[in-house]
Order: sequence, then C-alpha cells, then structure tokens
Amino acid sequence: MGFEAAVSKRFGDFTLEAALTLAGAETLVIVGESGAGKTTLLRLVAGLERPDRGRIAVNAAVLCDRASGIDEPPWRRPVGYVSQDYALFPHLTVFENVAFGLRAVRRPSREVRDRVARALERMQISDLAARRPRELSGGQQQRAALARALVLEPELLLLDEPLSALDLRTRQSVRGELRRLLAELTCMTVYVTHQPVEAMVFGDRIAAMEAGAVTQVGTRDDLLRHPRSSYVAAFLGVNLFRGRIVERANGVARLRSAEGDLSIVDPGGEGEGEAFAVINPREIALFRESPRGSAQNCFAGTVAELIPEPPHGERVRVALHTNPPLVAEVTDQAVVSLGLREGMEVYASFKATGIEVFR
Amino acid sequence: MSGTRPQVGEVLARTAAILAVGLLLCLVALPLLSLLVKLPPAELWRRLREPMVLSALRLSAVTSLGATVAVVVLGLPVAFLLATKEFRGKRVIETMVELPIVLPPTVAGVGLLLAFGRSGLAGGALQALGITLPFTTLAVVVAQVFVSVPFFVSSAAAGFASVDRRYLDAAATLRAPPAYRFFRVSLPLALPSVLAGAAMSWARALGEFGATITFAGNLLGRTQTMPLAVYTALQTDVDAAVALSVLLVILSFTVLFGLRLAPWASIARIRR
Repeated sequence: MGFEAAVSKRFGDFTLEAALTLAGAETLVIVGESGAGKTTLLRLVAGLERPDRGRIAVNAAVLCDRASGIDEPPWRRPVGYVSQDYALFPHLTVFENVAFGLRAVRRPSREVRDRVARALERMQISDLAARRPRELSGGQQQRAALARALVLEPELLLLDEPLSALDLRTRQSVRGELRRLLAELTCMTVYVTHQPVEAMVFGDRIAAMEAGAVTQVGTRDDLLRHPRSSYVAAFLGVNLFRGRIVERANGVARLRSAEGDLSIVDPGGEGEGEAFAVINPREIALFRESPRGSAQNCFAGTVAELIPEPPHGERVRVALHTNPPLVAEVTDQAVVSLGLREGMEVYASFKATGIEVFR
Repeated sequence: MSGTRPQVGEVLARTAAILAVGLLLCLVALPLLSLLVKLPPAELWRRLREPMVLSALRLSAVTSLGATVAVVVLGLPVAFLLATKEFRGKRVIETMVELPIVLPPTVAGVGLLLAFGRSGLAGGALQALGITLPFTTLAVVVAQVFVSVPFFVSSAAAGFASVDRRYLDAAATLRAPPAYRFFRVSLPLALPSVLAGAAMSWARALGEFGATITFAGNLLGRTQTMPLAVYTALQTDVDAAVALSVLLVILSFTVLFGLRLAPWASIARIRR
C-alpha cells in the first residue's frame, strides 16, 4: 500500500531518474531549484508524460509499468493534480469547474450537486460558486483548484508550487490555511516547491531534487543532522522554529516557539502573527565558557552528537541538547581546539541578524 | 535647413497616404454605392418579389445553409487534427485544404465534374448507388462545400491551436477522456473561431458562382442560386440583377460586420 514511483525519462541531454515512496496520509515535499525536474516528475506520476522506464503504483493499482506494458492514461489514475497556475477553466463558473470531474465520470446530478456543495464549503468558497475564474483573487483561485481536485477523492494529490502564483501578502495567509488543509487530508500528498522554507514547513518528509535526481529523502531532522549534498546542507539542513512574535522593542522582537524563545530582528508587519525562524548551522558559534558580547541568543546545553559533514569532510555538524534544540556547524579545527565530544557542556550563541525570519 | 526638409517629406507622405486611401475607397466603395443608388427602395422591393428572384433566393438559402452544416460537420475533426496532432503529410493536407481559396472556381467545377460526373472517376460508384450529381441541387451544395471549406477549417484550426494545453492537461487529470475533453473544453474555448469560420464559410458559399455554373449548371429553381440569377438577369432584366446584387451586398456586409461586433468576439479578446 502507499505510493511507489521509480521512473526515468530523457529529454535531450537532461535525464530524470527518481524514486519516491509514500506510506500513509503524509505529505512528501519535493524541493529543488528550477530545472531540477520537479514538475516533470509530477507529470509522469499524473500520466501527462510517459516515462522511458519505470513503474508507478498507487495503493493496490499499478498505474504504469513499462516492463509489462501497463500505462494507464491520466483520466484513469486515482491521482489529483493541481498545476502551478491552477488552470481553472475560464469558460466555466467555479461550481462547474468543481463539478467537471464528477460529470466526466457521469455521476448522477444530485450527487454532483451535493459533493460540489460540500467541496466548496470545505474550501470556504460557497459564495463564489457562480463566479468565473477571472473574477477570483489568486487565493480564491487556489481554493477552487483544490476543491476541483479534492472533490474526486484522489488517493494521491499532486501540488505543483501551489503558492508561487500568489503575491507575497496572499501567500502568507494562504500558507497557514494550506498547512491546516494538508494536515486534515486523508490522502497522500506530493508537494513540489523551489522554496526550502516552504519544504520545511509543509513536509512530513522532504526529498531534495538536483539536476534530475533525488539526492536525499528524509525528515527535516535527518536533513539537518545528515545533509548528503551541499545543496541540502546550505538550504535544507537548517534549524527551523515555528512560533509567534510576542514582544517588539527597538527593532528586536521575541519569537516564542514550543521549544523556547529566540531574539530576532523585528520583521515588521502588524500584530503577533505566526512566523518561522531559520538559523543556518554555520551562524551558530560554540564556546566552552559563557560568551560575553553582542550575540542576543545564547543557550547552554550538552553536545548530543558530532556528525562529519560530507562531501567535504572538513566541517562537522554538532547536535546540541539545548532549549530550543540546535544543530551547529563548525570546522574540523574548531572541534579540536574546543575539544568537542559528546556529553560535553557548551554554549551556543548567534546574533539576531543571523536568523532569517519568514512570515 | 534641417527644419524644413522633414516638413516637406511629411507633407508629401501625408498627401500620398490620403491619395491612396481615397483611390482605394473609390475602387471598392463606388461600385457598391452605384448598386445601392440605382433603384429606389420601392422598385427594389418589387423586383425582389419576382418569381425568378424568389426562387433564386430560396435555393441560395437552402444550399448555402446545407453547405455550411456539411462544412462544419466534416471540417471540425479535420481542423482539430490539424491543430493538435503532428503526423506525416500534415503540410500536404494543410495545403490541399487551403487550395480552393486560390483556385479559380471554374477549375474546381471542372474537377468536380471529372470526379463526380457520369463518366467521372467516382461517377460509376455514385450511379450504382442511384445518385446522379451533376446539374442537381445537391451538386450546388457540393460545389459550395468545395470552395467554402478552407475558410472554416483554417479559422477553426487557429481556434483549437490557441486553446492552452494546460486546460486539456487539467481536464485529463479530472477523469475526462478525450471525447469529453473535446466537447467540454476544446470546443467551448475555440467556439469564437469556430463560429467565425462557419459565418465566413457561409458567406463564401452564398456568393459561389464559378464552380456551381460549371458543375451544376444554371437551371431555374434547381441550380440557379442568387449569383447565377444575377448573371442571367443581367442579359434580360438589369433591374432584377441590381436588386439581387443589392441583397447580396447587404447580406455579406452584415456577416462581416457582425463578426466584428459579435459578443463572443469581445469575449475572445478578454480571454487573451
């Protein structure tokens, strides 16, 4: 059961070769720079492109198996697909857009009415049922596109950069809604993005994709402690905290997360909304004695684990038992000069300016 | 120096442009105007009720509408294939479909005669089925289809080609098989071009002369459509010819002007 794909496809001198699995109703985020092959991978799973070799299975159904000649067309796959620009049909109302798939499989009209009404209600766009897509805002279009895919109760939902078509302001409010929705979903979800922070916020597991290949799959914690490529180390293997801004003074704000408080640069904006703090392990300095200086964040704790970081092998990731828990990255020489070993007491410190804040 | 020269050039260019526009307007508008002012409205109305005129009117209405239906039914799949699929010989087929636009209609008529005439290539087969084409009303329709189909196919194909692939992909992932996608996505989105093509092809069928007179003859009540009646009347009854001509001018103008004003023409613009 679950989702399994192992496919390869060549376009000219670009080769996509990727294997993914999903177990239950979790969300797997595929993250990588543009041109890494993320969208192509989704299109292969949806059946919009045909792999040269490979096999795709969702729960009990084999959707594609080139070796035995199986290749179900997209309309016979239990897969929902929401493309980057939503592609709502411009000649149909929101209601008819959402009803499209149910009518295509000839559901009785009463059932269509009821299921569409429920889908619209769930996405809180019942009042927009009679509108055309061009009369909707970006966020509303996204909800309509999600309703249109979800009303068919897919076993696997594919989301291609669902936030990238939205302006910054809308994106912030939609992100929270989307996260709640994905957490409620009973289907498996594959979510594609080029934004590392989005990947960390949305993914139960994260797959890093580079130049047509999946280079690492793991939980956020796996990527933080054991990054296997320099892309993962630089963009995904970072400390991430979700919290609320509880205090602001003189350009410095306090972010309260479940794991502890952080001093951050006041990101501006109003209220005490949700915010994410990203701390690159390289920004965290380690000391044997309590440091005196300008760093606003200083936490005492013990060294939990020392992990040499490939591929260079000259740097070491240091997992710490601190509150909040942190992973720092230091050089080989620093490990020697500090005499770092597991169980040892250290102080970890970093400046408020070393924290990237996302709202 | 540099102040006056461009001015002289400017004036010359403007004069030349005005002259060109004026001459072309005269060339096109003067004949139309001459037709319109030749007969007083009452006389025009009386002429239009002559039996020969009425019979040509009726025949033209029936044949041109029949031809348009045939063009749409036969042309839609062709236009869709040409717009969405790549296959060997596609360029040849595209050229063949367009050929009737530039071919002299009389050549089309001769070709039709040699193909579907009694001793034509397909004439025997038709006769075995009990169908004789030449010099029948059906032949008029066939001639009209031949000359008008390119207008429909090229317009409809352009419409299908402009339908964004994303919508078809979205429809495919929403459980819609190809036929459903065609009727619910491709056709509605291409509709403005399809309707425009149908209107253009109807107008062309209505004005068809050369292929008709060659392939179907000029038989009163059977194959004598309005353009043929104009030609015939000119030799005996100039006023009737003028009356028919005025009617054709008005109909054609209405179709072309309507295409520019149609609500779906503006919808097409908004969508882009």
